[in-house]
Amino acid sequence: MDTNTEPSGTDSPLTTSLIADYVLKPGVPDEMIAADGSVRPGWAALMAAFDALGPTELGARFERADQYLRDAGVFYRKYDGAEGKERAWPLAHIPLLIDEAEWAKISNGLIERAELLETVVADIYGDNKFVERGLLPPELIARNGEFLRPMMGIKPADGHFLHFCAFELGRGPNGDWWVLGDRTQAPSGAGFALENRVATTRALSDVYAGMNVHRLAGFFRSFRDSLFADARKDGGRVGILTPGQHNETYFEHAYIARYLGFMLLEGEDLTIDNGQVMVRTVAGLKPVSVLWRRMDASFVDPLELRSDSRIGTPGMVDALRNGSIAMINALGTGILETRALAAFMPRLAKALLDRPLALPEIATWWCGQPSERDYVIDNFDNLMIGPAFSTSLPFDDQRGTALGSTISPEHRANLIERIRTHGADYVGQEPVQLSTAPVYVDGKLQPRPITLRVYAARTEAGWTVMPGGFARVGSTLDTAAIAMQRGGQAADVWVVSSKPVDPISLLPKDGDKLERNSPGSLPSRAADNLIWLGRYAERCEAIVRILRAYNARLAELSNPDLPILQHCRDYLASIDVDADEPLPAGLLATIDSAVHSASQIRDRFSPDGWLALNDLQKSTRRLAERVRAGDDATRAMTVILRKLAGFSGLVHENMYRFVGWRFLELGRRLERGIQIARITGWLTDPDAPDGSLEMLLEIGDSVMTHRRRYSVSAGAQSAVDLLVLDPLNPRSVLFQLAELGNQIEMLPGGNDNGQLSPAAKAALQLRTELVIAEPQDMPPERLETLANDIGAVAGLIASAYFA
Amino acid sequence: MTAMLYDIRLQLNYEYDSPVQGGRHLIRVRPGSIPGVQRVIAASLTCDPPPTQSSAFTDFFGNGVTTIAYSGAHEYLDVKLTARVMVEQTMPPADLSPTLIELRTEMAEIWSVAPDSPHHFLAVSRRIPSDPEIATYARQIMAPASSVFAKAMTLCNAINADFAYDSEATDVETSPAEAFALKKGVCQDFSQVMISGLRSLGIPAGYVSGFLRTNPPPGKPRLEGADAMHAWVRVWCGRTAGWIEFDPTNAMLAGPDHITIGHGRDYADIAPIVGVLKTSGSQEASQSVDVLRLE
Repeated sequence: MDTNTEPSGTDSPLTTSLIADYVLKPGVPDEMIAADGSVRPGWAALMAAFDALGPTELGARFERADQYLRDAGVFYRKYDGAEGKERAWPLAHIPLLIDEAEWAKISNGLIERAELLETVVADIYGDNKFVERGLLPPELIARNGEFLRPMMGIKPADGHFLHFCAFELGRGPNGDWWVLGDRTQAPSGAGFALENRVATTRALSDVYAGMNVHRLAGFFRSFRDSLFADARKDGGRVGILTPGQHNETYFEHAYIARYLGFMLLEGEDLTIDNGQVMVRTVAGLKPVSVLWRRMDASFVDPLELRSDSRIGTPGMVDALRNGSIAMINALGTGILETRALAAFMPRLAKALLDRPLALPEIATWWCGQPSERDYVIDNFDNLMIGPAFSTSLPFDDQRGTALGSTISPEHRANLIERIRTHGADYVGQEPVQLSTAPVYVDGKLQPRPITLRVYAARTEAGWTVMPGGFARVGSTLDTAAIAMQRGGQAADVWVVSSKPVDPISLLPKDGDKLERNSPGSLPSRAADNLIWLGRYAERCEAIVRILRAYNARLAELSNPDLPILQHCRDYLASIDVDADEPLPAGLLATIDSAVHSASQIRDRFSPDGWLALNDLQKSTRRLAERVRAGDDATRAMTVILRKLAGFSGLVHENMYRFVGWRFLELGRRLERGIQIARITGWLTDPDAPDGSLEMLLEIGDSVMTHRRRYSVSAGAQSAVDLLVLDPLNPRSVLFQLAELGNQIEMLPGGNDNGQLSPAAKAALQLRTELVIAEPQDMPPERLETLANDIGAVAGLIASAYFA
Repeated sequence: MTAMLYDIRLQLNYEYDSPVQGGRHLIRVRPGSIPGVQRVIAASLTCDPPPTQSSAFTDFFGNGVTTIAYSGAHEYLDVKLTARVMVEQTMPPADLSPTLIELRTEMAEIWSVAPDSPHHFLAVSRRIPSDPEIATYARQIMAPASSVFAKAMTLCNAINADFAYDSEATDVETSPAEAFALKKGVCQDFSQVMISGLRSLGIPAGYVSGFLRTNPPPGKPRLEGADAMHAWVRVWCGRTAGWIEFDPTNAMLAGPDHITIGHGRDYADIAPIVGVLKTSGSQEASQSVDVLRLE
């Protein structure tokens, strides 16, 4: 390929103002400016476009990218204490450009590497010929925590150990790319690469369109198709196995699941039945054939791997032994990430390929061998010294790894002594030296160190490399500050071509056969969370309506000891809400519970719904800091009510009306029925103080309807008629029971040719009672037990679908 | 050379506080044949209630494993093993073991990660992390002995002399460090302390699970641990001598009174039963063992 056919600007370097003001770090290669001072392909066009936009517009564009990420709810979890916090995704706005010809070299090098790694791991868990031949020291395997003995001798169901790998690359001082680390356990970040692309192109759509940038969708499409093809052979499903919402990259798991149409599964969603992996769904156990795991292998099965794992599936290793599931990647492949293994890759490449790897790793010396140990001790100051069995990247490992010259004198003597006596535990590595790329700071470009994360996937046609990925960009010129956990940023990577590229999307092309994936595979855990999300949201509404009515009267009557106010406080206390607090902690806790339920099913509803719920939580917390009882609280409750309605509207109007939506709807109807029955019983009690019935109609949002339908002032009977027995009032108990019955019967097994499930029967029974009842049949005692009877329907649903 | 014939009966019993809604267990209690050491003539393992599913496999270290799974509710689990095993009576080995320095050289020449390779038994394992106090104790005790075999025997005898056998002092979860601080425990504690000490000096050592003959030969004392499952230590004594088994609970080499179930790096690799239950309650466990010599 001719790399000089650049659309514009290659021959006139340093012509644009952004480039002209860009000051390189001496002796460090840069991604925009080549060693000879020329501008590398693609950059001139990009910078010319930036100059044309000008600093104000460019700032606005970059803000648009950040806004997109905030709106899409892209976050990662940052660990500074025990509990991680969600942080906004730190996008470095300028993409990293790499020329197609250079990318082809990287891509071919990584495929060669992936194939070698496959051979090595197949030997480690197979015949161990490489140890026998002296290519790998036995200690490196036998003492390695990532060597999973239960996996020994188990052949992967589809014949391959590796299917999806990531590689961390850096460009060294001589301009060549080096591998800083192979990620074979459960590589993260592919989903973030996609989101980076969407955010960056949203800001720079016109620039992007004019630049011949390779698309990412084709890579995902071919990997998705190969996993589905694998699964179709066995008639099973494809799932992403996630450690759950507390994981650092849970957002990404949910995102990829949604993007590729895979089920998002946790260990407890799965069970092993006669050696086959099954997912517990609301329609019973369904087979799973392919699991793309995002969980470290040792946690996958508490029975045969880490017994303290609370996130695994007992018996998974047995299922693998039976060959009934394809695991992406095979359990045990994490051993390839061992730092000391890098010391043996050159030897393995020579023995197996008869040539050095095109993309080599940084030079590594394992101190378990006498001459290597001596070399490390002799060159102590100039090497990164770290644990041999670590799997973290050298610059991510602040605690365990350091440049020899930076180690304090007393520690240094101890460390050298340890290396002499326990050499096998240590490696020395060439210090990581990285190239720089421009970031945009205050209207100017500044160089920052970068590493490149590139993904390779096994497809039916062999390994394929994502044309892009993401670059990690340091926050300062210090290479150690590159990890995102310490303030680094991530940039999109554009592989630029001199010719137009094929636009590809995940949508089928014309002429593709339309394949519908079979629905009805809602995991039980997700259904359970959906019901609770519906219930908590509805419970919030009930509490807020009561609090609003209470505070309005408090402001009006200005005597808190009046019986109606006391009566109201007692009711709120019975549902753990302290009315003396202007914005009670009980309400905040209910909102938190809704957010908690929602956070476990991020793949199931729209980003808009998630944002609305988060906004509700944040606003309520803010209000809690300053709201005073009375008028102020009344207004606050109105605000919260509006936000709640916004959330409910977004979710109910946008969710596909299938099984998942039904569970959400069931939760809403159950809770509303319970709440209305209880409050109606409380406020229609013959002993209830004056003003109770007006308050009830206000809480039930039925003041106007009552006025229209009954020519008398509110009496207990008319209130019960309207709020319990009226089939047309969307807030009545009967209305809830009717909807409840309809939805339950549409659940799997809810109504099999007229044979009703226990939950459907129970709902029908209650509904029938209310249809024929007269208001006098519904005294407060019955309304209290009615609330419990509705609660019992929830129990029947739970035991049928979540047990 | 004569052989000893044993009939073994093992019963493990678990009572659950509240009914368990299903569960899955790995059972490692069935003895295997070991050429030149023991031959299993018959063995049968039964579980009550009968499991919904059951299968068997051989693990990395060569131990026979039975997998059982329950899908329904149950309130107890009984595991019963009956086996007839012939144990060869071998001569006590002559000390052909090298010095510690020679052992290191011999180790470096072993390019293997086969299950019996000493490399698996040198590193810390989950149940036996390195412990500086045990290391100091072991170094002092073993210093006078020159060969690896003599060192192991010295440590075996020292632990037996310094520790009190006390089945109330520890449980299966007790760490070697805790047992060492108490200087009390049962066969599991004695064995794991000994393994920890040996490994700290660079001597590969593993954990053996098995049975002891219940009634002693006439005129001999009854051995400690004979009424329960037993554990002892295997030590790699160099290329020529190979693996030799020491019983620190009884200050002796494992012999014709020891019947092997299997071995691993520590208790976790050969625990008689491990399981994951769907329950919130606790459980009560008991076991009984009978090992009768057939005349």
